[in-house]
Amino acid sequence: MTLTKLARAIMLSMVCLLVFANVSQAQSRTVTGKVTDSKGEAIPSATVTVKGTQSSTSTGADGSFSLNVPAGSNTLVISSVGYTTQEVNISGRNEIAIILEQSNAALNEVVVVGYGTARKRDLTGSVTKITAKDFNTGAIVAPDQLIQGKVPGVQVLATNGAPGAAFTVRIRGNNSIRAGSQPLFVLDGVPLDGRTARPELNASGIGSSPANNPLNFINPDDIASIEVLKDASAAAIYGSRGANGVIMITTKRGNVGKPTIDFSTAVGTSSILRNIEVMNGDQYRNALKTYNLTKGNYGGNVNAMDAITRNVLLQNHSLSMSGGSDGARYRASIGFFDQNGILLKSDFKKYTAAFMGNFKFLDSKKLGLDVSLFTTNIQENVAPVTNNAGFQGSLVINALQWNPTLSLMNGDKIRQSTNDPNVAATTVNPLALSRYYNDKIGLNKIFVVASPYYTFNKKFEYRANVSLTQETGTRRAWMSRLINIDGVKGQGWASLGEAGIQTYLFNQTLTYRTDLTKKLNLNALIGYEFMDLKFRRNNQLYRGFGIDEFDYTKLINSAAQVVANEGSSYEDPTTQLQSYFTRVGLNYDDKYLFTATIRSDGSTKFGDNFRYGIFPSFAARWNLHNESFLAGNKVINQLALRLGWGITGNQEFPSGAARERYAYTAGGGAALLNAANPDLQWESSTTLNVGLDFATANNKVTGTIDYFRRNTNKLLFNFEVIQPAPPGSRIWQNLDGTIINSGVELGIFYNMINKKDVAFDLGVNATFLQNDFQNYSGPQILTGALHGQGVSGASVQQMRNGLPLNAFFTRKWTGLDASGNNKFDQNEKLQYVGNPNPKTLLGFSTDLRYKKFSFRTNWNGAFGHDIYNNTFNSVLNVSNLQSERNIASVFVGGPKESLTNPASPSSRYLEKGGFLRFTNATISYAFGNVGKVFKNVNLSLTGQNLAVFTKFKGFDPEVNVDKQINGVSSFGIEYAPYPSARNFLLGLRVSL
Amino acid sequence: MKKYLILFGGLALLSAGCTKLDEKLNSELTRDEAQQILKANQLLQAAYNSMQGPFQDQARLWCLQEHTTDEAVGPTRAGDWDDNGIWRVLHQHTWDADHSFITSTYNDLLGVVFNATNVLNFKPSVQETAEAKFIRAYVMYTILDGWNQVPIREPGEDLRNPSKVLTGTAALDFIISELNAALPGLPNTGPIFKANKNAARALLMRCYLNKAVIANRASPSHAAADMNKVISLADTIIGTSTYMLTPSVFDNFTPNNDVTGKGIIFAIQNLGGSLSGNIRSRWFCTLHYNQTPSGWNGFTTLGDFYDKYEAADTRRNTNYPGLQAATGLNMGFLFGQQFDKNGAALQDRRGNNLAFTKAVSLIETGNNLEITGIRVIKYVPDLASGDNVNNDAVLIRFEDVILMKAEAILRGGTATSGVPAPYNTPLNIVNAIRTRSNATPLTSVTLDQLLDERGREFVWEGLRRSDLIRFGKFLQPTSLRTTNSTATRLLFPIPNGQLAVNPNLKQNPGY
Repeated sequence: MTLTKLARAIMLSMVCLLVFANVSQAQSRTVTGKVTDSKGEAIPSATVTVKGTQSSTSTGADGSFSLNVPAGSNTLVISSVGYTTQEVNISGRNEIAIILEQSNAALNEVVVVGYGTARKRDLTGSVTKITAKDFNTGAIVAPDQLIQGKVPGVQVLATNGAPGAAFTVRIRGNNSIRAGSQPLFVLDGVPLDGRTARPELNASGIGSSPANNPLNFINPDDIASIEVLKDASAAAIYGSRGANGVIMITTKRGNVGKPTIDFSTAVGTSSILRNIEVMNGDQYRNALKTYNLTKGNYGGNVNAMDAITRNVLLQNHSLSMSGGSDGARYRASIGFFDQNGILLKSDFKKYTAAFMGNFKFLDSKKLGLDVSLFTTNIQENVAPVTNNAGFQGSLVINALQWNPTLSLMNGDKIRQSTNDPNVAATTVNPLALSRYYNDKIGLNKIFVVASPYYTFNKKFEYRANVSLTQETGTRRAWMSRLINIDGVKGQGWASLGEAGIQTYLFNQTLTYRTDLTKKLNLNALIGYEFMDLKFRRNNQLYRGFGIDEFDYTKLINSAAQVVANEGSSYEDPTTQLQSYFTRVGLNYDDKYLFTATIRSDGSTKFGDNFRYGIFPSFAARWNLHNESFLAGNKVINQLALRLGWGITGNQEFPSGAARERYAYTAGGGAALLNAANPDLQWESSTTLNVGLDFATANNKVTGTIDYFRRNTNKLLFNFEVIQPAPPGSRIWQNLDGTIINSGVELGIFYNMINKKDVAFDLGVNATFLQNDFQNYSGPQILTGALHGQGVSGASVQQMRNGLPLNAFFTRKWTGLDASGNNKFDQNEKLQYVGNPNPKTLLGFSTDLRYKKFSFRTNWNGAFGHDIYNNTFNSVLNVSNLQSERNIASVFVGGPKESLTNPASPSSRYLEKGGFLRFTNATISYAFGNVGKVFKNVNLSLTGQNLAVFTKFKGFDPEVNVDKQINGVSSFGIEYAPYPSARNFLLGLRVSL
Repeated sequence: MKKYLILFGGLALLSAGCTKLDEKLNSELTRDEAQQILKANQLLQAAYNSMQGPFQDQARLWCLQEHTTDEAVGPTRAGDWDDNGIWRVLHQHTWDADHSFITSTYNDLLGVVFNATNVLNFKPSVQETAEAKFIRAYVMYTILDGWNQVPIREPGEDLRNPSKVLTGTAALDFIISELNAALPGLPNTGPIFKANKNAARALLMRCYLNKAVIANRASPSHAAADMNKVISLADTIIGTSTYMLTPSVFDNFTPNNDVTGKGIIFAIQNLGGSLSGNIRSRWFCTLHYNQTPSGWNGFTTLGDFYDKYEAADTRRNTNYPGLQAATGLNMGFLFGQQFDKNGAALQDRRGNNLAFTKAVSLIETGNNLEITGIRVIKYVPDLASGDNVNNDAVLIRFEDVILMKAEAILRGGTATSGVPAPYNTPLNIVNAIRTRSNATPLTSVTLDQLLDERGREFVWEGLRRSDLIRFGKFLQPTSLRTTNSTATRLLFPIPNGQLAVNPNLKQNPGY
């Protein structure tokens, strides 16, 4: 189905629903009105009920409502989450204005927890909720960006600056030695697979391109709130996948009332945020002189990074329609996001269409159905920037290294060694690479959730979730035979890749709520869940094209022009999960609350002897403010103590890892690939959490403080196998060893000024983290592979007992000797020289309103960690002067370094990673209603990624290029990644 | 009551979802499926193919056998080829038990042992059994030679259990008995990349020739009985009249050497364009960027080694048919000015004449750092097959058999009478090899001369370290390693990773 057809189908179904929703109601008078808060801002979704009747409605986006009031009724009840419920007398009035007072805002909120919801004031676990109004603003592709810097204890880190790039999300530190420390994402109650069908690519001579964010398929404008479940008490209901925390994404729903159209549009520009300082032509000439080099000066002054970067436009549009009656609410949206990359020939386009419906059936309204449907098409052009470029570099490397005295073009010809004697044989002109490299990706995803439920009575409710995902990706890449890269030059190269993911999920829960006594309330849930995940991919490589420039992917059928092709296809072993879970909550007089959860998870990933794992948690809450000794206290408005303990698991490792697997191999062979480990089981994290929720100063200051300690044991790891064993194999084992993440996190919200014309809010969150690897006695575990010329096979990180994970373990550089060569501590002994894990995370936001103007800013930072600069190590070192390549400016001016000083990996290339980022700022003007048609018109100007304050010399201190070895993830290494962009967007929002 | 009905109904519903987890492997086979579907010959093919990695890549056995000797060195050329000193420590004899090439070689070789052993688990025929045992014996011998400790498993063993480790002479005895058991089942002849009787005999020759070395590497004492076994096995091979000294030694190293290599007894198959090991690294690692094929400007030989050749020795430099016209290259050693295929003088990337020098250092520092060191071209570059070249990787050739025979005689063995010249006496054998390559015949031959001849003949074929140890010269200095090494260096260290997981392994002395 094409996208237009799909959109049409959705429109059509919406029209049907409108008809369904607007069945006229009984004759009576109509009361209209508007609900606002004390600042005069509209409150959407507030419930307006005629007291003592079933008649009710919700306010629209502009806070207005219209309600049929039966004759004889004279009181309306207006309620909304976070506000004190109000009763209004309407005798003799058909039009009213209602101002709702904010209640103890934060604590009355309802938050989404696993398989249900809870009032925030009832939470026993550590959960942070961020609603749409507090999301980050700007060119946002995926949901994790929305909460960057917003949630205590959560680090959200872009792996590089490309539009749509993957994010590293870590909740309360690094929990795993292998690549499996991402949290579980749950969308509208459905745990996601966490992979994407975007085909991977390893381009001949250039390397592997970085991954994109698997959550790109979601339109951020469709999201109502994001909840982060941080401790075991909150996450244990997700059992073997809860150890890294859980991020729950809840989409917007239609409200009861007139159909509303919301339209938002933004156009903007992107440009490079920071550059890496390399020499300009004059500096380069000086450097040549300093080193008495006679060759390499061609007289020019060229900035090759300027030649491959550009200032580009971006646009983002969303249109949604929502409304409905009590029995049928709907919301349908379409979105278009289009961001050109700041590197040549890179862009990211996303088309989304979503439908959410909430239906109730039967006279009793006991039978209901909630549905969500997401369809997404993503189209990308990818620039040749890779994680592991070798000596012929990638686009950024080639630009950084380009001799700044030699123009990139000679007339209209791109200078290459094939047409220009001034270009060395191995030097790749970045403009040539950009021109001759082409890489297109198309990704389609359909994600459906249907949740029927039946409410038996006030006590029992049954709910099921059925979800299907179908995702397919194609990738067509080719390089012209004109490019000067080994294996491509003279023959050309083309790759056709395809991947597909299919997911099926079914879960069902039965909830039971009752008052056991007048003061003791019971809330229980039992559930079952089943998941089936399939992943397949294939790739064809072709070489030997007889044409210079033509889309090779389109002429592969012409056998005469293709001399070699290599292909591969693979389908992962099927992953299935089957789980049983239960949760029991007790509430005594709103003073003492207790929650226990148990989940039993069975997974095909586990070995035969450990098919099912049990994950329990227990937590309690004491609402001190409800005790008599604090009643009426003027200083302390809220005070609650939380204590939680639980065990969660991690099973993010490849399916089939526990099993003996044979495969057909090249040349007609067959061999065992993987050694069996029937004892393989989940990784186990035990978390202790102590938390305090408080409100003071007339509820103007609210906050939470949590202390946590998470010990992760039975570490899943692809370990050294005892030889003789299948060639190149390792064995998945649960290692003895403990990863300890402990720390304190706090979040404080201060409603500093709250007057009619002026308001100011300040939000601050901070996290203090410590990471340690203990009780491990096995061999060192290496990761952090370096790439580039002269560092083949080198790695700079180790997992070692007594050190933080991913400790930088290299030679310790002590300067240059008299001849300009490296000096190292203790005869080049490898030692612990740095830690990539931040000790402190910081985020804060300000929100200033003056009349109709508002000004919001968001900041985030991380401190106390190191970053390894692989770019300086292998791409920009001084020896480049001899081969007529550029070098980093930092390497000249100090003591004279020998041109022949080897590029030995060492602490020399370790830099302080601390930074403070001015994440975004938005200034907006609320026009309110314009004429009779346009409502809530809001004009805004947003600057995103405005500045980053740091000593780090790479493009961006928030960087995490994938340098894993044997599946052991690296952290905090920069290697000429796609540079970060600064964006400015002009946005308009309007409702109809 | 209703409450309980709902609860009961709910539970019933929940349990209705209960299913048995489905464990489909999709692209792969479970053990049971493998046992039913797979045939021994498929596992045997995989065992052959798994030899491609460890025996061909420049960062595996080859560099351990060559960079540690006077035949090869990998100089650091400023930002290029430092690789954290990984090449340098090989030549300096300062490697440790975390050296990643030593580790990977040991593990990759044992991977072949596993694959060969696993053939025995799939009801192989007599010949398949014999071939698998030959492959295993060949690789086990290689491990024994380098590390002295050879882990081994029974077919089908639980891979989580520590494997048994055979050490020194016990390992050698096992290898010999396996070869003797395999011999009757092996074919007399066949393609060079399949195990055959002569390959097993040649490997047995290596076993007996080195038996005393394996018993005591620092000071071996060769037994005449062992030497006589070497001689008699050589005579059997010679008697089959299967092999010849090809007109040029390089005929054994051409892209189609499975046809032209009439001296090859056993090789690893490389299928051009589709399935190859990294034998192309032999020329890529040494050629300069500006040569054709464009290389990586890395490894060289030492000037002293180059000087072991006479000027007219075609092993030193040959205009091999067809090569110059396509690339401008000669076979053998590249010394002095280099030319392109049109005869134009080449330059390096800095504008120096591309004239390779005898002088070379472990860390190059001058403006000439791209051109230092004499380059070695052993395999005739395959220009037609892309990255997957077609040259089969030579493991045993006839020249080795006859030179081993000569050595065995010099070490106290008795030549069998009745073997026709030139394969009858050490001098005749050495001179047959020398005259084929246009070197002046010797008038007499000593063990030292024989070692030099082996060096000249087998340069960069991955035999040097073992030869130097057998002749007691491995620990001696080279021009780039100024002191004698300790006896520790006669063995490689057991990789720390394996040491940590297998309690039956013990670290070799000195590491």
